[in-house]
Amino acid sequence: MNDSYKIVSSSILYWFSQKKWFLFSVLTGIFLVSIGPPIDFVNANGEPNIAGYHSLVILLMVFILVTSQPIPFPAIALLALVLQVLLGVAPADEVASSLMNDAVLFVMGSLMFAIAIVHQGLDIRLAKIIIKIFGKSKRVFIAGLMFISAVLSSFLGEHTIIAIMLPIGLSVIRNIDSSKPDGKNAVLLTLFSIAYGTIIGSIGTPSGGARNVIMINYIREFSDVTIGYWDWMQYAYPILIIQLIMAYFVLQFAFPSSLDNIQLQGYKKSVAKSNSATNIRHIFSSIIIVAIIASWFLFNEQFGLGIIALCGVLIFMICGMVSWEVINKNTNWGVILLFAATISLGFQINDTGAASWLIDKFNMMISSFPEDSSFSWSFMAIITGLTANFFTSSATTSLLGPMAIELQPNNIAFGMSAAIASGFSFLTVISSPTAMILYSTGLVSVKLFFRIGLLMFASSILILYLMSEFYWVML
Amino acid sequence: MNILIAIGGRDYSKPTLDLGMKIANSLEASTTIAYVGKKVSQFSEKDVSVVHQNLDERQLYRPGVRTLEWAYDFLKSKNYIQEESNDFNDHLLVDEENSRMRVLLKGKHSNKIDLILRTGEIIEQLRSEVQTNNHDITVIGGGKNKGMHHDLVQFIDSSVLVVKNYSFKKKYKVLLPVNNSVGSRNAIEIAEQFAKANKLDVEIVTVLENKSSDDNLKKILEKTGKRFSKARIKNTTRILEGPVVKRIVQSASDDSIVMLGVSPKNPIMKYFFGSKPISIAQKCECPVLIAK
Repeated sequence: MNDSYKIVSSSILYWFSQKKWFLFSVLTGIFLVSIGPPIDFVNANGEPNIAGYHSLVILLMVFILVTSQPIPFPAIALLALVLQVLLGVAPADEVASSLMNDAVLFVMGSLMFAIAIVHQGLDIRLAKIIIKIFGKSKRVFIAGLMFISAVLSSFLGEHTIIAIMLPIGLSVIRNIDSSKPDGKNAVLLTLFSIAYGTIIGSIGTPSGGARNVIMINYIREFSDVTIGYWDWMQYAYPILIIQLIMAYFVLQFAFPSSLDNIQLQGYKKSVAKSNSATNIRHIFSSIIIVAIIASWFLFNEQFGLGIIALCGVLIFMICGMVSWEVINKNTNWGVILLFAATISLGFQINDTGAASWLIDKFNMMISSFPEDSSFSWSFMAIITGLTANFFTSSATTSLLGPMAIELQPNNIAFGMSAAIASGFSFLTVISSPTAMILYSTGLVSVKLFFRIGLLMFASSILILYLMSEFYWVML
Repeated sequence: MNILIAIGGRDYSKPTLDLGMKIANSLEASTTIAYVGKKVSQFSEKDVSVVHQNLDERQLYRPGVRTLEWAYDFLKSKNYIQEESNDFNDHLLVDEENSRMRVLLKGKHSNKIDLILRTGEIIEQLRSEVQTNNHDITVIGGGKNKGMHHDLVQFIDSSVLVVKNYSFKKKYKVLLPVNNSVGSRNAIEIAEQFAKANKLDVEIVTVLENKSSDDNLKKILEKTGKRFSKARIKNTTRILEGPVVKRIVQSASDDSIVMLGVSPKNPIMKYFFGSKPISIAQKCECPVLIAK
């Protein structure tokens, strides 16, 4: 057989094997568009709601593509935008105007701000503080790592804090012999404490995760209710604290260890060294960070969280503390573009009436169950929580958020719960940057992450339910 | 000649490294040892990259470097690397292209060994490594994932050695099924050099499925036997009859290293219906090399 024929056919086969999910998504889209909307899917004039139906077809295609990732994120984002116009979901100008809002600016600003912060090398400073406060015993130190991770992550986002805290964790466990069960458990306890701290912390404030800001924007648009920074904290922070306590005991139970091998003394000595130039840099960075967090508290309704995050990046750049090259190299532009496209799609799903139709279907489906909002709440929270574990939290909130609000437009508990539940990324390693970073160390397997996470996920949903039922009503 | 040895966890990679280096030494090939790290979701790839850069700055080893360090020490302990070499405390990571990093050790060390870190889906990364650096043989550990063996042979443009149930202590023999394909000629070439360098016995076989091919195959068998005898390699020749896959799998014992040629079949047919060499690699409980 001709060699060039073999090479060409092998390359084509390889392309097909790599892009099978892309082809599946395109074929599914073509099939659904060709059969048209269901008879009862009509618009206000009683005509078939083609635009709404097409928006749901695009949603399904985006869902398949983001979950399986056969093509780069920017390509998925562009596909979603192009299809919205080509399939008549909305005119080009409307799609373009829905592409950018404060939530997208926040995603962009928080990713850049994270890079600027991590670039300052604050982990050494933070390690000194943690050792000073929690260094009296190894067990308290591990609890301190989890607590500090959670508190910082609630304000600065999990992707920032895991990047700062992981080197601290890896430094104290670097010489542990993980071939013995006690040593292995000490390694896992340290890593999971940091990871769970950052994951749990991200629900605490709007700036803890892009999904929180996305939901605040949706609630403002669709329910005409404005949720401020402090309002969010009042809802979410008590949940965060209970989850932290729960996580502490779950991890102690899952990874029993004497912690004898943890090198706290050696680490104390290594972080004790510092020079005045670094000290000044750290102090200045801390002032910028505190100023940005204070601005989120005080001016978020006036300026928006995204603009304030971008101000932080601006100050770091103007002061020469981080270069544009570093920010440009490390910013995930694909994710920003994808969020912009999915948020735009989320708005179209709502504007075309597709979200209402889906909710009607959902209500019809559950009409056979007892008339109780607890059921629809639980269903919604579990679905968003599970979807987020396979689809990542922010993308889930941007796509399912409008439907969660539509379930009970006058009750913000539904929207809030959807955003918080989507932050319970305890089940899969693809669900959050923290989980992925933990997995990428090669020290934690997919199975182990799922096994420990299952208990955390179930207990977190229960805590969220109890808090929404008994605590939120008092606010 | 270039050989690529893909390693994963320390527990499973010793046999892969050992047999891979034996092949490399017998063919006097330069060797690349590649650790392919976990595939990172596009959502988190930049976050992971920032964390890894941070670990480098703190002189904490990023994932994979410790495995490469272990592999390097293992090769030194087995005398596969002869030169006096530096240790990993003074290593340098060079970002060469997307998803590929080279580990450079300061000081004197073997020029014939390259240490590479890659991140992503294993077939995609190995394919890219082979295409970019023109590796002739890819050596990989034989896990239980039979689909991976299929994809390796299908998509990687080099000969593939799947190392299954290999033990350092055992005395091996080469089982060399021959036929009239180009792949088989390459397998004979590799088997000759490997057996000669490691002083191994060779059992040359051919399988007759139907009578029309009898004479041709018998001639090839006889010619190969003479070639090995001339090279002073102890060998036996044997004619087997019946279904090819079944007979070769039966002939392969746990002290065999099977070396055979790739199927000349159309790649599309191979993808959907498999091929005899792929089936043999999947069914044999010993190392199998499929030469291209």
